[in-house]
Amino acid sequence: MIRAQGLGAVLAGIDVLRAVDFHANPGQITVIVGPNGSGKTTLLRRLTGDLQGPGRVLLDDAPIGAMPPRRLALRRAVLQQATQVGFPFTLREVVRMGQEAGGQAPGIVAAAIAEVGLSAMIDRPFQDLSGGEQARGHLARVRAQIWNPVTSGGACWLFVDEPVAALDIGHQIQVMDLLRRFADAGGGVVAVMHDLNLTAMHADRMVLMAQGAVLATGTPAQVMTDGHLSAAYRAPIRINRAPDTGVWLLPQMAGDPIKGQN
Amino acid sequence: MKRLILSAVIAVVPLLAQAQDRVLPLGGAVTEIVYALGEEGRLVGRDSTATWPAAALQLPDVGYVRALSPEGVLSVTPDLIVMEQGAGPAEAIEALRGAGVKIVTVPDVYTPEGVAQKVRVVADALAVPEKGAALAQKIQTDIAEARARVAADTGRKPRVLFILANTGGRLMGSGTATAADAIITLAGGKNAVSGFTGYKTLSDEAITTAAPDIVLLMERGDGSVQADAILAHPAMMHTPAGEHGAVVQMPGLLLLGFGPRTAEAIDTLHKALAARQTQ
Amino acid sequence: MAATGPMRRAHRLPVAMVVTGLAILLLGVALASLSLGASGVLPWDGWRRMLTPAETAILYNIRLPRLILGGLVGAGLAVSGVLMQGLFRNPLADPALIGVSAGAGLGAVTAIVLGGLMPVTVQALAGMYMAPLFAFCGGGATTLILYRLASLRGHTSVTTMLLAGIVLGALANAIMGILIFIADDRQLRDLTFWGLGSLAGTNWAKLMAAAPILILGLAAAPFLARGLNALAMGEPAARHMGTPVETIKRGAIFAVAAMTGAAVAVSGGIGFVGIVAPHVLRLAIGPDHRALIPASALFGAALLITADTVARLIVAPAELPIGILMALIGAPVFLWLLLARRPGTGM
Repeated sequence: MIRAQGLGAVLAGIDVLRAVDFHANPGQITVIVGPNGSGKTTLLRRLTGDLQGPGRVLLDDAPIGAMPPRRLALRRAVLQQATQVGFPFTLREVVRMGQEAGGQAPGIVAAAIAEVGLSAMIDRPFQDLSGGEQARGHLARVRAQIWNPVTSGGACWLFVDEPVAALDIGHQIQVMDLLRRFADAGGGVVAVMHDLNLTAMHADRMVLMAQGAVLATGTPAQVMTDGHLSAAYRAPIRINRAPDTGVWLLPQMAGDPIKGQN
Repeated sequence: MKRLILSAVIAVVPLLAQAQDRVLPLGGAVTEIVYALGEEGRLVGRDSTATWPAAALQLPDVGYVRALSPEGVLSVTPDLIVMEQGAGPAEAIEALRGAGVKIVTVPDVYTPEGVAQKVRVVADALAVPEKGAALAQKIQTDIAEARARVAADTGRKPRVLFILANTGGRLMGSGTATAADAIITLAGGKNAVSGFTGYKTLSDEAITTAAPDIVLLMERGDGSVQADAILAHPAMMHTPAGEHGAVVQMPGLLLLGFGPRTAEAIDTLHKALAARQTQ
Repeated sequence: MAATGPMRRAHRLPVAMVVTGLAILLLGVALASLSLGASGVLPWDGWRRMLTPAETAILYNIRLPRLILGGLVGAGLAVSGVLMQGLFRNPLADPALIGVSAGAGLGAVTAIVLGGLMPVTVQALAGMYMAPLFAFCGGGATTLILYRLASLRGHTSVTTMLLAGIVLGALANAIMGILIFIADDRQLRDLTFWGLGSLAGTNWAKLMAAAPILILGLAAAPFLARGLNALAMGEPAARHMGTPVETIKRGAIFAVAAMTGAAVAVSGGIGFVGIVAPHVLRLAIGPDHRALIPASALFGAALLITADTVARLIVAPAELPIGILMALIGAPVFLWLLLARRPGTGM
């Protein structure tokens, strides 16, 4: 379990996070949402150890700041919002880096790439892949690092920042299903997401942030109310309403994308 | 009687065998001296600064005398190297010594006696000391006569500025304790610069203070272009030399070599300075 | 999902084949270097007849140490290039960027111009090795200053390192300019030749002095390979994968400084090996540093030995400074590298 108390962060002289308490359980998908500038990504960076500041983060009661990086890499993997690959590595080589970081068997590389549907590109230069394909490629790398949701050391964690931002709806569903399976098998997922529908579909717990502080936590039903959302996003927001005219589509109603219409 | 002559010859042969016959001179003046001694048949190479006499240019060139390659030098298989002071780099000379080549260093002193000493050292190295003594004597006589002609000239001594190089507008000139300084004095001139030793880059103010009557240059392929560029230098333009366009050019090795042709150098320079002065 | 982008696999040659090929190339080039020279003596002449002292000296005191040092310097410069490019995530990063070459050059220029003004004991101790000694000290001092500047806030910033390197390089060049200005004619010529780079003054003493440092750097480099691979995705991603990023950065910068400092100290200004060798190999076997580092070492060694052999033969019995040859080869390759960069690939 991930626990943090009184997390703060100052960036360029501004209090971006103000004494935030956070916890996440294995076997669950915990999603952090909120408007731009609310501190979501900063909170994630505090949780992954990328940013220092007041407050401690504990992984199974051990402070992550004290853990050697190699050992921490065996317990949790991080998918950043965007990662540039500086040299012409192939997809296989990029994913292999994750596999080696996590001490996994070499066969995992092909399995992780297949899981995100990129087997045909395995030996292509990573930089030749489209934006969406690169995002999925990095997810494969992260999965190759943390393949087993639960190991002898305890539950393992995936921290993902906007995992579906660059993807089309079909792949969005695919990736969310992947995270769901990971959590169902006992692993822990902490995600930062913009998309409230996908969050409502898959999150076990939601943390709604606004202006550097937590506005509401709980199940999607508890957090996603007209009041909470309108206050956080500073715009009138109404849930569970359909428009009278025009076309609209919810991911909740999308079928199996590979089989086509249903 | 025949037996005496035969045994004398037999006694001399080993002595002859000890005189090295594969000689590499390093330095223009040293090479000239070997030719002046008539020993050029023993030469196996030269360095890039040895440009006189023309026959020397036919010899294999081992490169710039201060940037020698050890194997390159050894490839002409010398058994004796006669080198001017300052040949290098030091590691290369060390390597040559380590290869078993006899090395003789010739001191470089810019005086008539210094020239004579050079000749004697080279001649000793070549095992022809009598020829050396004779040549040294002749050179000193020639120089003495040339100096007498200079002394007889009672005109005013011109102020001479020797320019070694012009790199992008920066003029490198000669102070004291150089070959240029010595030859200028011997030829009856006065070094316009005196504040430092060696060849240094001159500031504009130094050039103006020097106020040379004549600029002395080494001849290169593009002789006149070089002289024009120097005279057009802003600081030069306001000196007597600049105003009158007074430039004297002579071949570098003749002018600064302090070798067998030193007397000729003194004469030529003296006449050239005198000619320019009357303008 | 249909594949997007050009329909091609990455063109790669098998690593084992390339490394073996390079090793064979190096052996061949080394043998050629030992056998070729202005004097024409061959190594196996010694089996058929007695060698003269001059020939023995040529083979064992001139060609052999020169060959070994040339190989080590070539390997050191090439691997320094790989480490620099991995550190800065840019295939155009050159060891000279961090200012170590300029610092070493400043040391050498100081020795050449002010050597006569040094206390007599210093002159006596250093002897003819004053320039290499000072060059090495200059490189070392520059590295320490650079490292302190770049680590001011507790963690080593690669960007600050680059900027500090540029500043230190500019400072070193400025001081060198002053020294050049006061130098006399002979010193200027010595400086010119030093700057053009040469292995001509190599002897066993210089080799024994420089070899341990070069070998140390070359031995340490492979340990940085995995970390540099991960670093290609940025420091945060590398950290997330467990890479000890600060150690890798420190290790890389010190290895580069040591190898470049030693190389410049004994052979003057030789450029382009650090760019040419890694770039060509990256195209052949890919950017994985675990293969790139050893392959670059072999290729750099072979490249420099070949260039040195050509330098010794092309104007024999004189010799071309090797820095000129490397520039003649390296500049067109560098140009091609710039023109062939495909936009958006980050290459």
